[in-house]
Amino acid sequence: MIEFQQVSKNYYDKPALVNTDFHLQRGDMAFLTGHSGAGKSTLLKLIMLMERPSSGKVIVDRQDLSQLSRAQVPAHRQKIGLVFQNHQLLLDYSVFDNVALPLKISGYNERDSGRRVRAALDKVGLLDKEKLSPSVLSSGEQQRIGIARAIVNKPKLILADEPTGNLDPALSGEVMRLFQQFNQVGVSVLIASHDLDLIQRLPHPVIQLKQGHLSGPFAMAGH
Amino acid sequence: MAVTKQAPHNASRTKPESAGKRLLREHKEVALQSWRRLWLSPLANLLTWLTLAIALTLPASLLLLLSQAQHLGPQLNQEHQVSVFLVPNATLKQGQLLSQELLAWPDIAKVTYISADQALGNFKTSSGLADILDSLTDNPLPATLLIAPENTAQTPPAVAQLTQQLRQLTLVDQVLVDMAWLDRLQAILAASQRVTYSLAFLLALGVLLVVGNTVRLQIESRKQEILVIKLVGGTDAYLRRPFLYAGFWAGLFAAVLAWLIIQLGVSYLHDPLRQLAQSYQSQWQLQGLGWVGSLVLLATSCGLSLLGASLTVGRQLRLIEPQ
Repeated sequence: MIEFQQVSKNYYDKPALVNTDFHLQRGDMAFLTGHSGAGKSTLLKLIMLMERPSSGKVIVDRQDLSQLSRAQVPAHRQKIGLVFQNHQLLLDYSVFDNVALPLKISGYNERDSGRRVRAALDKVGLLDKEKLSPSVLSSGEQQRIGIARAIVNKPKLILADEPTGNLDPALSGEVMRLFQQFNQVGVSVLIASHDLDLIQRLPHPVIQLKQGHLSGPFAMAGH
Repeated sequence: MAVTKQAPHNASRTKPESAGKRLLREHKEVALQSWRRLWLSPLANLLTWLTLAIALTLPASLLLLLSQAQHLGPQLNQEHQVSVFLVPNATLKQGQLLSQELLAWPDIAKVTYISADQALGNFKTSSGLADILDSLTDNPLPATLLIAPENTAQTPPAVAQLTQQLRQLTLVDQVLVDMAWLDRLQAILAASQRVTYSLAFLLALGVLLVVGNTVRLQIESRKQEILVIKLVGGTDAYLRRPFLYAGFWAGLFAAVLAWLIIQLGVSYLHDPLRQLAQSYQSQWQLQGLGWVGSLVLLATSCGLSLLGASLTVGRQLRLIEPQ
């Protein structure tokens, strides 16, 4: 699903990623860990095409990303469900409209979109909150809205950047269980997190980044 | 929080929709949405629309005045006559012969012969100086031919040429054409036209800048939303659309306001201008914009605003990229 081939990324001659190789197979779920500044966000940004690698090749869903022009970036992003640490919800949109945003962009009509939004909200257990503003919800609920938005378009791949960063252990466990459930129905999931306690309790491989270098057992060709 | 079994990939939609139909529906949605957004900050929008309306009103009303003042010239010109004064010793017979000869000229429509005696008689009754004129031994007035040029020869150069030809006749002493004021009117109109065009050009630029700046501020205030939309895969076209509609609505409202201002101005100026025209024996009246004028105003305003928005929106949206 995601393949990095000798990928390096420098910011003003400072290396953020150095000759990184890894392969996340279709349907896999893995964690990406490392101290802040170890290159986690850089790696996610390369997958989202928010950045381009200085060298090497990034392949997502069999598509070599270097082949994509600026105009093709939106279509690429539509295929990925993205979950943020600070949820990135729009506070002047209702919960429903926040979740519906990716569908609106993809051109769904109101009826199909409504059906899917409610299904996604049902999955994260917030169906009864659709008319509220996200600002009145708890941070755990906000994060789940963010997850509903990420899955509403039924993506093949979910990327999450510190999705439990602002949550207490109980809520964190709940959010992780959600990701596991999506993984069980075939969605590939890559979660950047430094919550080592949580990660170690879960049976998923861990990609470890240290100052831009990959380390740990995952380094080559999956698990 | 149970996950129901579902296909992980894009499932087919219930009803396939043609691309054209989808685009139309999306445009309708965005148009409505940007319309609703207008009323979230009505005062700020109203001020923008008024600024645009004033920028439109000035050149539009000047153009309106100019286009109607150009009808003013020929209308007055039609009543114009060339006065030909004959030499003092010209006989009655010579005068009548000459007037018949002139009538045959292609540029002349009508010739009225006024003999010296007739002229004196007219002058006596119109001036009220009968007693003084009676005391004169000689008639000081010459015989006169009043010549009305053909309609085709009403233009200033044609009248000037006719005058030149008349002066060369031996019996003719003097030819009077009061062309100067007509020339001046034409010159004033020509100059005002250029002033108006320059003004219209500058104010059109002003409209572009005002709309561009308004859209820039709108984009700035919705930066977070744009970032999120870009991250979840919003295309440039999708992002541009609401701002283009905002520009369009601004143009529409500005046109409506400008139209109102112009029509009010026309009704305010109508009577005094008609009186002025009447003092020159003209039936000229100031007209409002009419259908064509109103549509031109509307199209210009919407077009300029849309252009202003589209010139800004692409550049501004490129500046906002998720980091």
